[in-house]
Amino acid sequence: MTTLTSGGLTSGVSAPPGGLRRFGSARWRKRNLTFDKITFFLVFLVIPVAFYIAFVVSPFVQAAYFSLTDWTGFTPAMNFIGLSNYAKLFSDSTFLQAVGNNILMAIVIPIVTLGLAMFFATRVTVGGSTGGNVKGLRSSSFYRVISFFPYVIPAIVIGLIWSQIYDPNSGLLNGILTRIGLEQFTSFPWLGDVRTARWAVMFVIIWGLVGFYMVLFIAAIKGVPAEVFEAARIDGAGRFRTSVSITIPLIRENVQTAFIYIGILALDAFVYMAALEPGGGPDNTTLVMAQQLFTTAFTKGQFGYACAMGVVLAIITLAYAGLVFAVNRIFGGKSEVGE
Amino acid sequence: MDINSRPLGRRDFLRGSLAAAALAATGSSLAACATSGTGTGAQSSAPAGQVSDTNPFGVQSGSTVDAVIFKGGYGIDYAEFAGKQVEAKQSGVTVKVTPTTKVAQTLQPRFVAGNPPDVIDNSGAGLIGINTIRDQLAELNDVIEAKNYEGTVIKDTLYPGVTEPGTFDGKFIVLNYALTVYALWYSASLFEQNGWNVPKTYDEMLALGKEAKGKGKYLLGWGKEAATYYQTMAIGSAIKEGGDEVRLALENLKPGCWSLPPVQDVFNGLKKIIDAGYMKPGGSGTVFTAAQAQWSDAEDFILYPSGGWIENEMKDQTKSGFKMTGAPEPTVSSNSKLPWEALHSTAGEGYIVPSQGKNVGGGKEFLRAMLSKDAAVNFAKTKLSSTIVKGTVPADGFGSTALQSQIKMLEAAGSNIFSWQFVDLYGMNTDQLVVWNSFLSGDADVAKLTKGLQDITDKVAKDDSIKKVQVS
Repeated sequence: MTTLTSGGLTSGVSAPPGGLRRFGSARWRKRNLTFDKITFFLVFLVIPVAFYIAFVVSPFVQAAYFSLTDWTGFTPAMNFIGLSNYAKLFSDSTFLQAVGNNILMAIVIPIVTLGLAMFFATRVTVGGSTGGNVKGLRSSSFYRVISFFPYVIPAIVIGLIWSQIYDPNSGLLNGILTRIGLEQFTSFPWLGDVRTARWAVMFVIIWGLVGFYMVLFIAAIKGVPAEVFEAARIDGAGRFRTSVSITIPLIRENVQTAFIYIGILALDAFVYMAALEPGGGPDNTTLVMAQQLFTTAFTKGQFGYACAMGVVLAIITLAYAGLVFAVNRIFGGKSEVGE
Repeated sequence: MDINSRPLGRRDFLRGSLAAAALAATGSSLAACATSGTGTGAQSSAPAGQVSDTNPFGVQSGSTVDAVIFKGGYGIDYAEFAGKQVEAKQSGVTVKVTPTTKVAQTLQPRFVAGNPPDVIDNSGAGLIGINTIRDQLAELNDVIEAKNYEGTVIKDTLYPGVTEPGTFDGKFIVLNYALTVYALWYSASLFEQNGWNVPKTYDEMLALGKEAKGKGKYLLGWGKEAATYYQTMAIGSAIKEGGDEVRLALENLKPGCWSLPPVQDVFNGLKKIIDAGYMKPGGSGTVFTAAQAQWSDAEDFILYPSGGWIENEMKDQTKSGFKMTGAPEPTVSSNSKLPWEALHSTAGEGYIVPSQGKNVGGGKEFLRAMLSKDAAVNFAKTKLSSTIVKGTVPADGFGSTALQSQIKMLEAAGSNIFSWQFVDLYGMNTDQLVVWNSFLSGDADVAKLTKGLQDITDKVAKDDSIKKVQVS
């Protein structure tokens, strides 16, 4: 990074003759509001901010306000009822169960998915033969393509495919299990049994996402200079030690990003559930907040109450993101390895 | 120059964009609640045309009727047919028929903005809960008091009791068009072949289950989204057994309504069948259409409780020679308050006319066309399902055994026809499905089923924000 400073490209405040203008330079500050500058502000600041306020911020504020009303969703009329929707929410056992399900999913899905993705990513990039250059397994590009396949399929299609696979009587899974002699799985309802339903749906979500995060990690690992891995190997580090002590710390930022994205997905999960468990699953064990919100709004005609659910979901999601940042900090995210 | 010394370091930027991403993703669910602006809904008094016998609602020539029709099992061609009838009768009137599969989601903004369509077929899984919009609907008494296109007063051409399901607190606001008969369906050919008789009580069902088992078949089966078809059968049986007392207790969400003896007897009767293993296992994990095909195509089980739409729904997945026939839902004992022939029948495809629509008269004229002979016969013939208009189905049921049996059951029931609305009215089905799935799969006993259903009922009953409909 220091090479830039020693070069003549940006040598201090005094403007290079005919060179690049820099923000903060005296010349720049003097030139007030030229046509260029105004159009620049307009195109890159005012318009996006206006769009953001109109289509992102204002719906948020509106929804937050509606959560304080008894709006049914089908009239222009509504009454302000204060926090009673929230009071109702915290004694609504079905909604609380949905919150619990979502939290469990937000714990299990990121850890398993990213764990697997990391494992595969290191295998196909640096986990190959221990002799010669650091490289991935043989035919690693083949594995990379294969594992990305599920991500190419839309989530709703994945859901529908798996609901057929899980079918108790004509599904592929029970077909295989009974064929190999496990008779107890005859007509076993994977999506209809309290013991298996939530794990079955989580498996589908993980199956669909591992490939994407694997590719994400591969890109990150490829950005790490190969000498680092070579040096580690010369020092006698095995594959596992290399992953834990070299790979993960070096791509920490990517892991954090991945955690946030997949966590948000796990807290939503609406699409997968709409295909796999539209009714909330056995004893509501797979009911998610977004599903409950949807039914409350459109089937029960309680938009105000549904908006309160939306606000709670938003708060939980933000809390989750905050938690991921905090954990990253605690485990040394400050040391700027990633730069 | 060090990159990190910049006012907005790369890492900070990354952090900022992550937070924004988190926000944006959260937003999707939050923003779903927001409106597209609340209009005050200028009450548009429809420009009235000349009211006459041929134009009882004064539809103005040159006006447009905006009809939004649910596109489900019945499609929309029958509505387009009716639209053509209107255009032929009222010169200069255009009917615009728009299909939708999600009524509530599509029309919610239009209701808020105060410009709803003139007539809506409010049906399907995504229907608008009538309770939330019933103040905004026009009363339809004048529609059935008007004369149809053949000159007969419409009221006199309808099956008895068909306006009841559309009447709330004394106001008739929903015209349910398709007549639905709830029954226990079976293949008459299969029964004949095996010498089986249609069971009239739960004990007879249990006995039939044993015989079916002997032939390697199950008695009953279900699919996860349709587990509450068994609730529909159970309530029907309980009402036959205990009469209006049971119906009113349930309709008015009375405490302990699910513990009434007739209801409990039905539950126990079902439980015996489930415990005996006559229920095809795995239903709670099976998509309902797949489960129904196990009945109509594979004949894995022999009886299925459902509504009259079942024939149309399974048209492509019915074994040839499967004489689909309906029988009234079983009673508990032979001395029930209502006879076995009593029928749970109601009308579906609820047509509504919003009072804020631009052309209320046009919406009503559309309904008048639908209730006239041509459109009603067209519906019966193309959908193999009767409308609420009598005498549109010939004796051969257009070649459908299911339709024949529906008409026969209706004739046998006479005036013993009943129905209820509380399940759909308060949107309870989703919650009830959960309880029924565990009961049918054998995981829950009668006590747990009763408690689950009572909890759902009590939750609605105690919630002051939900407007109740008093039924008597």
